[in-house]
Amino acid sequence: MSQRWVELRRREMASLLQPERVLYLVHGEKKIRSPLSQLYFCRYCSELRSLECVSHEVDSHYCPSCLENMPSAEAKLKKNRCANCFDCPCCMHTLSTRATNIPAPLPDDPTKTAMKKAYYLACGFCRWTSRDGALWGKAINKLIEYYQQLAQREKLERDRKKLARRRPFMPLAFSQHTIHVVEKYGLGTRLQRTRPGAPITSLAGLSLKEGEDQKEINIEPAQALDEVEPLPEDCYTRPINLPEGTTLRQRLLQPDFQPAGASQLHPKHKHLLIKRSLRCRKCEHNLSKPEFNPTSIKFKIQLVAVSYIPEVRIMSIPNLRFQKESQVLLTLTNPVENITHVTLVACEEGDPEDINSTAKVMVPIKELVLAGKDAAAEYDELAEPQDFQDDPDVVAFRKSNKIGFFIKVVPQREGLGDVTVSFKIRHDFRNLAAPIRPSEEGDASTEAIWLTHHVELNLGPLAP
Amino acid sequence: INEMSDKQSGQKSAKIAAGAVVCVESEIKGDVTIGARTVVHPKARIIAEAGPIIIGEGNLIEEQAVIINSYPENITPDSEGVEPKPMTIGVNNVFEVGCMSQALKIGDNNVIESKANLGRNVILTSGCIIGACCQVNTCEVIPENTVIYGSGCQRRVQTERPQPQTLQLDFLMKILPNYHHLKKTVKTTSGATPAKI
Repeated sequence: MSQRWVELRRREMASLLQPERVLYLVHGEKKIRSPLSQLYFCRYCSELRSLECVSHEVDSHYCPSCLENMPSAEAKLKKNRCANCFDCPCCMHTLSTRATNIPAPLPDDPTKTAMKKAYYLACGFCRWTSRDGALWGKAINKLIEYYQQLAQREKLERDRKKLARRRPFMPLAFSQHTIHVVEKYGLGTRLQRTRPGAPITSLAGLSLKEGEDQKEINIEPAQALDEVEPLPEDCYTRPINLPEGTTLRQRLLQPDFQPAGASQLHPKHKHLLIKRSLRCRKCEHNLSKPEFNPTSIKFKIQLVAVSYIPEVRIMSIPNLRFQKESQVLLTLTNPVENITHVTLVACEEGDPEDINSTAKVMVPIKELVLAGKDAAAEYDELAEPQDFQDDPDVVAFRKSNKIGFFIKVVPQREGLGDVTVSFKIRHDFRNLAAPIRPSEEGDASTEAIWLTHHVELNLGPLAP
Repeated sequence: INEMSDKQSGQKSAKIAAGAVVCVESEIKGDVTIGARTVVHPKARIIAEAGPIIIGEGNLIEEQAVIINSYPENITPDSEGVEPKPMTIGVNNVFEVGCMSQALKIGDNNVIESKANLGRNVILTSGCIIGACCQVNTCEVIPENTVIYGSGCQRRVQTERPQPQTLQLDFLMKILPNYHHLKKTVKTTSGATPAKI
């Protein structure tokens, strides 16, 4: 009985730590509300950035199962698929190679049979084997060749136009270089984003060798038929054999053949994944740059918001009742190594950012002081606890770089729906990225600037 | 009193055929018959509460697997009119670590993967594979060569039969006696000569 209570309590506490409960507002092209763990902080602009206000660039391609790096040009050539690894067409798991011994007639002497090793692919999850699938067909290759030719032709025309327009004094190498740069980075720059109707540039790289004559491939245009094959008579009465057919997902993963029967499934090469880097759109600085090595999960540049902005988390919520004041315990964590001063300000009436709150909140008036994050503190037993005079009505506890504090909440809306409150958090930020100017008085070289963020908390439903 | 003595004798008898390797640390309760070449790992549990369990040859029952012939939930053990139903398990089945099987009829060459759960009303035919953590509680006969896998929902794929684990069985039958004491085998009623342990 008590074990069940412990389990329920644990789940309740775990759900409070879920990041979607506390949202920070990002001022970008769109106003985005998102948990701090999913945001980035541009320390050159001193602003929060979300995934929608940064530009994403492809860093490198790699295969998720063999972890092989692949240069972008090669990836494009192989249609972003790994050459060695296969995916199960049934459950999309990675296939592993197995060997069996089969008796096979020797090539010189057909009467004797020797054991030969035959390899097949097998899935460890759904037990599909490649011996179940059918052989591969060549249905769509002709279409692909035709489109390649078309793209090649269009690219040549564009190049010809560019060369014809260039001034005589512009070196040839310059225009060739820009074309190569554009091709290498594909659709990275804004100028190259596909506009509908623009020539297909993605297939242009898959060109035939120079010197080879381009064969004219004519394909017959698809003809619309008046008569369609009638359905078989037993279409409605025949019992369906579910395992025999393929699911929609299995079918659409192979768009060229779209097999209807499970016996026609064949393995596909594994899709490559990418490592991407993020760049702030305003100042063009990198916000996130991963390492090149696929086995490494570290970052060369990692400007995530949780390492610059103090994080608010909900610790415990009492029973909330309509129009009754309750105290909610929140924690504030300081991610930087110097002391941070935080002031909370309730949102004013008619604040354009305050659209979701359903309760009135009274935040502590005094400024909260957070100690710096000291990585060595847990090992240093002789560390003297810093003496901050904490008002016990406001600050519940203090633990290294974290404090717990109370806010008073008065729910204003009755009935179903969660109680949400919002307030503004104002803290000082020391910009270490700014160049150090030699100061005459020998003061601290970094000045603090004050940043304000709008925070929204979801406190859950009213108590029944 | 008669019932009491019957129950006691039922609990004592666990007929282990010659050639089976059953570790002492396994828990075998009730009227259980284990065929030859079957390997029962330590900490496996075979419990025959509501009727006898008959296990065929060449089976592999791994650690923490539970094969239990229990009373259906709505019937108390003492109510009358409950006939003991025997649970039959065929040959060359594999019960992987931590699985739980209450199915009354299991055929041959099935594989029940780790932490799978079979209800009482399921009947496995041959060559079925019940994937890890899959719970099969329906009242049905699972056709041959079916694979049940995936989280939550039941997904089936027809394929060829899984191979009998002869290599593994041979290896275990050599190695396990080196490290574990074995339960004593009993001369089977069919008159086969018991192998020397």
